[in-house]
Amino acid sequence: MESVCVTGCFPEAQACARAVATLHKAGCNPLWVFSPFASQEVLEALEVTRSPVRLWVLLGGLFGCAAGFALTIGLSAEYPHVTAGMPIVSIPPFVIIAFELTILCGALSGLLGFLLQARIPRFEAVPGYSLRFSNDRFGVVIHCAAHERARTEAAMYQAGALEVTCEPA
Amino acid sequence: MANEMLGYDDVNRCVLQTLTPPGRGYWLGVGGLGAVVAAGIATWTYQIYTGLGVTGLRQPTMWATYITNFVFWVGIAHSGTLISAILFLFRTRWRTPVYRAAETMTVFAVMTAGLFPLIHLGRSWFFYWLLPYPNERWLQPNFRSPLVWDAFAVGTYFTVSWLFLLMGLIPDVAAARDATAGWRRSFYRLLSLGWQGTDEQWRHFSTAYLLLAGLATPLVISVHSVVSWDFAMAQLPGWHSTIFAPYFVAGAIFSGCALVLTLLIPLRRLMGLESVLTPWHFDNLAKVILLMSLVVSYAYGTEAFMAWYSGNPFERTTFHMRYWGPYGPLFWTMVACNCVIPLLLFSPRIRRSLAALFIISICINIGMWLERLVIIAGSLATNFMPSQWAVYKPTWVEITISVASLAWFLMWFSLFAKFLPIVSMTEVKEGVPWLQQALQEQRKAA
Repeated sequence: MESVCVTGCFPEAQACARAVATLHKAGCNPLWVFSPFASQEVLEALEVTRSPVRLWVLLGGLFGCAAGFALTIGLSAEYPHVTAGMPIVSIPPFVIIAFELTILCGALSGLLGFLLQARIPRFEAVPGYSLRFSNDRFGVVIHCAAHERARTEAAMYQAGALEVTCEPA
Repeated sequence: MANEMLGYDDVNRCVLQTLTPPGRGYWLGVGGLGAVVAAGIATWTYQIYTGLGVTGLRQPTMWATYITNFVFWVGIAHSGTLISAILFLFRTRWRTPVYRAAETMTVFAVMTAGLFPLIHLGRSWFFYWLLPYPNERWLQPNFRSPLVWDAFAVGTYFTVSWLFLLMGLIPDVAAARDATAGWRRSFYRLLSLGWQGTDEQWRHFSTAYLLLAGLATPLVISVHSVVSWDFAMAQLPGWHSTIFAPYFVAGAIFSGCALVLTLLIPLRRLMGLESVLTPWHFDNLAKVILLMSLVVSYAYGTEAFMAWYSGNPFERTTFHMRYWGPYGPLFWTMVACNCVIPLLLFSPRIRRSLAALFIISICINIGMWLERLVIIAGSLATNFMPSQWAVYKPTWVEITISVASLAWFLMWFSLFAKFLPIVSMTEVKEGVPWLQQALQEQRKAA
């Protein structure tokens, strides 16, 4: 069965969030929403779950912390150089190195998690994308069968879309 | 545009017009900065070839201009993270058009700071001895040394600052990609990683950005604390102090915010950013500077009190010499620049006068550089042995390299400002209602 992507263009975040809720009630589930900035209203309307990037950061940070202590304790034990009468394994100064590595690995892991979860780099255009969506417009894309196109377009206009475009999915 | 209602496309238009191909004046300016950098590289080469004897570093003052520059530039970096990360966590509204420039300043300031330990080393090519690496004798660095902490702290700060800057740039570069053509489009396309602003992308971006801000916040405090421990861990009078970590962090934020003003005021004019950078933003930045000036003044007072109250003759002598000895003129200039002149910012009229703010910010930068010199060189110059006391004077080598470091910083900043969005469009759009309010106030004042 042939399917199409119907894209509605909205002028503001509030209008877009309202449209998402209206379309949802009308039985048209938005495939995705384009927005020129991170709009909490839109994300709430889409009822998105919390991002797993949190876990990436946590695991990266824990790894960094463990690596920091392992590095300092292990290498100090391997090369036991006494300075100023301090113990070879001096935990307080090692906390500083472990802290820095916690931050470093947490940040790097968070970035990696973001890239993988957001599926970027991705250089082919997502269906429905318009240059205005990085400027001043919000886009709601609905994937539907070709015979439902008219109904979906009508629902978009009813939800307040300024214009509606359609392209093959 | 400033007289009309500001829309999302106005924000894009205002910021993207800064990316138009630069003119001859711009290239002459960047070329001039490049020439100063080249002079600095030549001088550094001369220093490496001849030895550190060409500098003014003599016993007992073996740390002076280079380490002062290191601490100064690391400090400068801090306000960028304060504005971009800490104020982000507090949802401070006025930070949105300011933070990208501040964050860019952070990255290039850390890059500049990182050069000075290398220059100061003498044999710069052995810098990696500070890091643990496999070697045939299985020698390892002393992890109890503040210098090793420094290498880890500054290295982490440099990496995380870059990540934070580049990540925040992705949606803005995508907007630039969609509005340009030719090689610029290809360049922005590559840098935007194919960002299209879908809800999924924003969902992960928002979380990652928030968490990076959360990680950068303790990091920034730790880095300057570690830098301050380079001194505080030594037993030298004037250095060995428990207040150094908060004192240095406050000083860092103070000097960094001042440099943000020094950079943003001309940038606003030269790049036509009046619609997004209003006196309201500068007013708020000036309030932060005023607060930090009071904190720094309090720290100067506490230092003096501690030296007196300790009853330690060495500590008292060091501070007496700092105030009334050969470094006295530098100290009192520093007090004037850091404690007295910023008090002018209590006046709302001065906080809204860009010319006054520009002059005050330059005074603060001079004052904060002098503060580091007085602490570092001044304390070493009057150590425990009066027979060793000597006055440090920088040579032309140190002066040339220091000036070149400023040119190096300005050159990278200028290149960034012309080829990448220096104001975050996405965050300014989020704050458009408050920006409208600021513009209305600006019109009323006019």
